[in-house]
Amino acid sequence: MGPLFGIGYSDPVLVGIICLCLLFGLAFLGVRVAFAAAIAGFVGMVELIGFGPGASQVGTIPYAKTSLYALSVLPPFILIGFLAFHAGMTTKLFAAARAWIGWLPGGLAVATVMAQAGFAAVSGASTATAAVFSRVAIPEMLKNGYDRKLAAGVVAAGGTLATLIPPSAILVIYALIVEESVGALLLAGFLPGIVSALIYGAIIVLWARAHPEAGPAVKGYTWGDRLRSMPGVLPIFAVAFIIISAIYGGWATPTEAGALGAFVVLLVAITQGMRFRGLKDALMETARLTVMIFTLIWGIFIFVTFLNYSLVPQTFSEWLAGLPYNPYAVLFCILLGYAILGMFMDAIGMLLVTLPIFYPAVMALNGGEGVTREESAFGLTFEECSIWFGIIVVKMAEGCLITPPIGLNCFVVNGVRPDIPVMDVFRGIAIFFVADVLAIAALVFFPEIVLFLPDLMR
Amino acid sequence: MSGGSDHVLDHPPEDGLGRLVWRLDRILRWPEDALNFIAALAIMFLMLMGVVQIVAGLRWLFNAPIFGYIDAIELSMPILAILGIAYCQRMGVHIRMDILIQNFSGRLLWLVETFAATCTFVIMIFLCFFAWNFFNDAFVIGDSTTDAELPTWPSKILVPIAFGLLVLRAFVQILGALRLALNPDLAPVGVVVQKDIAEQAQEEIREAMAGERREGPG
Repeated sequence: MGPLFGIGYSDPVLVGIICLCLLFGLAFLGVRVAFAAAIAGFVGMVELIGFGPGASQVGTIPYAKTSLYALSVLPPFILIGFLAFHAGMTTKLFAAARAWIGWLPGGLAVATVMAQAGFAAVSGASTATAAVFSRVAIPEMLKNGYDRKLAAGVVAAGGTLATLIPPSAILVIYALIVEESVGALLLAGFLPGIVSALIYGAIIVLWARAHPEAGPAVKGYTWGDRLRSMPGVLPIFAVAFIIISAIYGGWATPTEAGALGAFVVLLVAITQGMRFRGLKDALMETARLTVMIFTLIWGIFIFVTFLNYSLVPQTFSEWLAGLPYNPYAVLFCILLGYAILGMFMDAIGMLLVTLPIFYPAVMALNGGEGVTREESAFGLTFEECSIWFGIIVVKMAEGCLITPPIGLNCFVVNGVRPDIPVMDVFRGIAIFFVADVLAIAALVFFPEIVLFLPDLMR
Repeated sequence: MSGGSDHVLDHPPEDGLGRLVWRLDRILRWPEDALNFIAALAIMFLMLMGVVQIVAGLRWLFNAPIFGYIDAIELSMPILAILGIAYCQRMGVHIRMDILIQNFSGRLLWLVETFAATCTFVIMIFLCFFAWNFFNDAFVIGDSTTDAELPTWPSKILVPIAFGLLVLRAFVQILGALRLALNPDLAPVGVVVQKDIAEQAQEEIREAMAGERREGPG
């Protein structure tokens, strides 16, 4: 079988561009992203290297890209999240955070953010976190006279913290695509997650000081209340400790640490009254999400294999690195592109579709492989830049859960509290956009926040 | 964005094509559910293996990590990662971009859905065939893992099995969508009914709240 478009290997970049258009065309016409990528990748491969060689390469990818030990970390991480809802941890976390920091201006909203950050240590599911906290935290805030836009906005925005703080599925996926260490990325997400939470908290305090009626302080908690609230949150600390210390200290692989974490949460859930039915539901949900992610991974890898034959990433990298502009300005444009794309796409899909082209380009912009800190554009070695860009991009991707018109978290808050119109949730989100911009600026200009923990591990 | 619903009618619809789709849909349901359930069990097993591996590997206790643990996990990955693929297609779990098609309705929507299902059907026939060859090569040469020397073919054969079921599911979806393209007023059978963002939000809430029922706020 000859070339389909009659171009063959005479102009691989053109074939690459045609197949990129094919991928997006099919995806817009409702073909599931994984299958659209497989089709575009396979068609391109047949064009460039012929049917036989293309078929034998494509045939190995679904198996080869799923039967990797490094990826076995995903199911336990996802399972922890589903079990955590059964373990009743959200209510206890919120109660503890409220007792400790309710006295601040906007204290209940700050407590919500901190409780969500804590819950992120057992969950990577942003939307589900927003759903549960809508029920736990919003009634408390409204009862204490909080502005409902603030109450709704904080719950929707705080949910996004789950994507950076380990266990995070999306960071594992990034690590796989760019062939970085899964452990290094998981560790790298921890401090940026905390910094984001602190910036959210600071913005709320400032806002509540300027508008005292929007978020009054709640006083009257004693030290007794505070200490009594602590035992309920111990399992969360235990799981966070298991995962971070295992990766950091190397006493278990991320998969084993995730398995032990899931087991701890399972035990807590059983003491909280979870029975076989609940466990079965959590496992079935985990299986669904696992298959969805893996299908996307191998589908995209078929496309990526083709893309590397087409030389599109290399050509784009050379062009981008050769631009006569400040590298930070180029990075800014790329991040702006992610922000716009994030308004219309799902986070995982967006990362998988864009990274094969943008990741090599940003690495080339920094100075390519083997570059020293002194010679590089961002003052980072290749490995450091790879981890740093990953955290920034994932932080951008989580923003798509709260941007109009399809910010799912906002619709979830509105779904739990139909009395709060979705437009009010979007208005309430506004100050958290400011916080996100500050957080991303902090990560861009102080890469140490990202690299501190992974550097210690090396 | 993704998100759809699994549409079940208790009785077959009146029209001939509808009855056929309804019947085929029913036939495919149990193997799909069974494979996804096996995947769920494998996840449970993966968790327990991880705990056992940590405990068994503790230097001061047993210092005897499970032999071939990593090989066994790698070989079992297709069970959790691929077996449920047809089930997920039926449930509309696979991610798609619905920014354009959410504006479609009636005949146009179902024509586009027919096209999308046909694309999935065709690529999966190819992939199923290629994956079968990949399995066959491993079977013929007696391929095994490097460390524990476990045979790889029982793991590799899972891919064409799961893909084959997806081909059949995509075929049912083509028929289901074509039927609605011919007459958009019929009750949907064998297709994923796409939900808007508010309905997707409701779905997320239901899932998250399943475990939180017993608790009151604060």
